[in-house]
Amino acid sequence: MTQPKGFRTASRRYLMVFWPLMALYVITLFAGVYFVDEDTSPLYLRAGLAVAVALPLFGVLWAMLRQVRETDEYTRLRQLQALAEGGAITTSAIFLIGFLEIFNVISDVPLFLFGPFFFFAFGLAYCRRGLGKTV
Amino acid sequence: MKNIIRALRTERGWSQQELADKLDVSRQSVNAIETGKYDPSLPLAFSLARLFGRSIEELFDDGTAVAEAAE
Repeated sequence: MTQPKGFRTASRRYLMVFWPLMALYVITLFAGVYFVDEDTSPLYLRAGLAVAVALPLFGVLWAMLRQVRETDEYTRLRQLQALAEGGAITTSAIFLIGFLEIFNVISDVPLFLFGPFFFFAFGLAYCRRGLGKTV
Repeated sequence: MKNIIRALRTERGWSQQELADKLDVSRQSVNAIETGKYDPSLPLAFSLARLFGRSIEELFDDGTAVAEAAE
């Protein structure tokens, strides 16, 4: 279990992982789009590309959770609150859209969109000014 | 919880960022503590007390001193 390391160290360790992984994500995505054809390329290649593109994002999520453990107490509180709010908003959206699909109000919404939606909701919740009174 | 962190900080001519750097917390943490939005944990309260050379009771007022004085 990672121990708290303070704000600066936690932030530096997060960014040291975040930027290389995002660069890897972009390179993998563009290389995949360039070299792999979604209709004619073999299944193993398409499956491998899908996993390869997703892996850097797994890494970013791991780095986010590590930063939550390592950063200072107030930042940790804000981050956990934002993660909870982002998760609640995303789950609410999933339920609503799911029922709208079940009752044939809307057609299928790509599951993929909920990932970026979560990060957007998390970011909004984190940037919201004023935490309010805490214990 | 009311406190005198802001007064002690400005007395020394430190910015919120400078105090945050000394405590290894974010500037937002210092702001939240100074404005009473966030009450620090005991380890952070001890760090503040050591940094300013005061006791925790001198830095923070939980209202009991005023209540006891009124009795």
